[in-house]
Amino acid sequence: MNKIYRYIIAAVLVLFLGYKSIYFKKLSEVKQLDKSGFDYDAYADTLYNKGILSEDMGVGLDELMFMIQTKPDSAFSIYGNRLGIGNSAYFMVKGNGRISAVQDGSLKILTEKGESVTLDSKYIFGNDLRDASRLVKLTDFKTNAEFNKVSEALNTLVREKVIAPTVQRLREGDKISFMGALKLNRKHLSDIEFMIIPAQITLQ
Amino acid sequence: MMCMKKIASLLCLIVSFCFSCQNKTGTEKPKVAVVISTLNNPWFVVLAESAVKDAEALGYEAKIFDSQNNPATESDNFENLISSGFDAILFNPTDADGSVVNILKAKEAGIPVFCMDREVNADDAATSQILSDNYAGCVSIGISFVRALKEKGNYVEIIGLVGDNNTWARSGGFHSVVDKFPGLKMVAQQSGDFDRNKAMEVLETLMQAHPDIDAVFCGNDAMAMGAYQALQAAGKADKVKVFGFDGASDVIEKIREKKIVATGMQYPKVMAKTAAQYAHEYFGGRRIFPQRVPVEVELVNAANVKDYE
Repeated sequence: MNKIYRYIIAAVLVLFLGYKSIYFKKLSEVKQLDKSGFDYDAYADTLYNKGILSEDMGVGLDELMFMIQTKPDSAFSIYGNRLGIGNSAYFMVKGNGRISAVQDGSLKILTEKGESVTLDSKYIFGNDLRDASRLVKLTDFKTNAEFNKVSEALNTLVREKVIAPTVQRLREGDKISFMGALKLNRKHLSDIEFMIIPAQITLQ
Repeated sequence: MMCMKKIASLLCLIVSFCFSCQNKTGTEKPKVAVVISTLNNPWFVVLAESAVKDAEALGYEAKIFDSQNNPATESDNFENLISSGFDAILFNPTDADGSVVNILKAKEAGIPVFCMDREVNADDAATSQILSDNYAGCVSIGISFVRALKEKGNYVEIIGLVGDNNTWARSGGFHSVVDKFPGLKMVAQQSGDFDRNKAMEVLETLMQAHPDIDAVFCGNDAMAMGAYQALQAAGKADKVKVFGFDGASDVIEKIREKKIVATGMQYPKVMAKTAAQYAHEYFGGRRIFPQRVPVEVELVNAANVKDYE
């Protein structure tokens, strides 16, 4: 009889410990918790409107190109931003020009100094805008995944709410001013492709 | 009197044992352990051998420990190297979460750990983490993918190890672009464990259910080679576009032959050299290191493959 009691007590104990050692949560609740932890959209909105659009943001494209040709190391250290190790750096540039062509969502621009540049308004992805702004530090976020979510939120804002509606209104021959991210590789400075990820395009 | 002598000899023994466990004497070289997730993949062999070479060039003894993609083996490796008196660890983790406990064990033993290539889910465990910028690299591949497919088609994604952060950083970067183009439909996503043979088998099976795919995106070049092999065997190598990640020499060759479309060039030698240099600086007294150091990944395709001989 004693044995039966012992087994019952042991079974109750095992069930109690088992019950206390695990718990279940709805996946939707966990996902919601992750989303609510940090508001990347609000962060990107502030970063864009109060940081990237501030008056002192960006170097003139002509000034940068002159410096790249004459003092490339200074150009990279003063205006460029490279997180970690690599040959490339991102620059926030601004300029004026006339639209010479609209091709597959991209704008071909002829600048006032006769330079031909492309505003890649279709492929606004990656870390170009975030890093060119020099406003977000790697150490501001705990993991690279979180750090990259800033880029995704910023790109979505710029691509869908800023650039897409603007580009729809633009036509060949329009005079515009622009600001955006330019990626330059130290190893290939002789054949620079002026492909700029736009942050803002304004019809003049 | 005899008792006092016994106590004195015991004390001497304890003191001499303690001194033997202390740091190296002036003539002894510090020992650096290179703990690698797996040596079954040539990419990690390059990472391991470069780390050993760089540590030796800086004047240290170095030894490779292979974790065989198994967190339990990795844990044993850490136990062994801690008890064997290694002074620093250049570490390529097997698991973003599971490896943290091993790093903390080493940290508790006063051994600095410098992660190479794979990130762990903790920013206060490793002394520093030197990591490929997988996300940005795969954003570039994603753009190349959209352009190559002209924004339309069915594709398969073969991801790497599910527990590895690189797997999701690569997949995340790729999807951050490709998912914005509704004409591109992912018909299957399956793990190939970063392994060539497994990726080949996975794609062979997937092609039975989805014979009409237009492209395959693989989370590393070993799997891209496996996928290409499967497509070749099925007579579809000319029709289906393959994309990889790593910058392995055989894939670079295939890009040159226009058989694989693009890959992301990683720099294992740069990561190994930086990790060895950081260990060297740690021995010299430096204690503040950046927690994460991203290393650029460059897109390699038919247009620029000549720059990657």
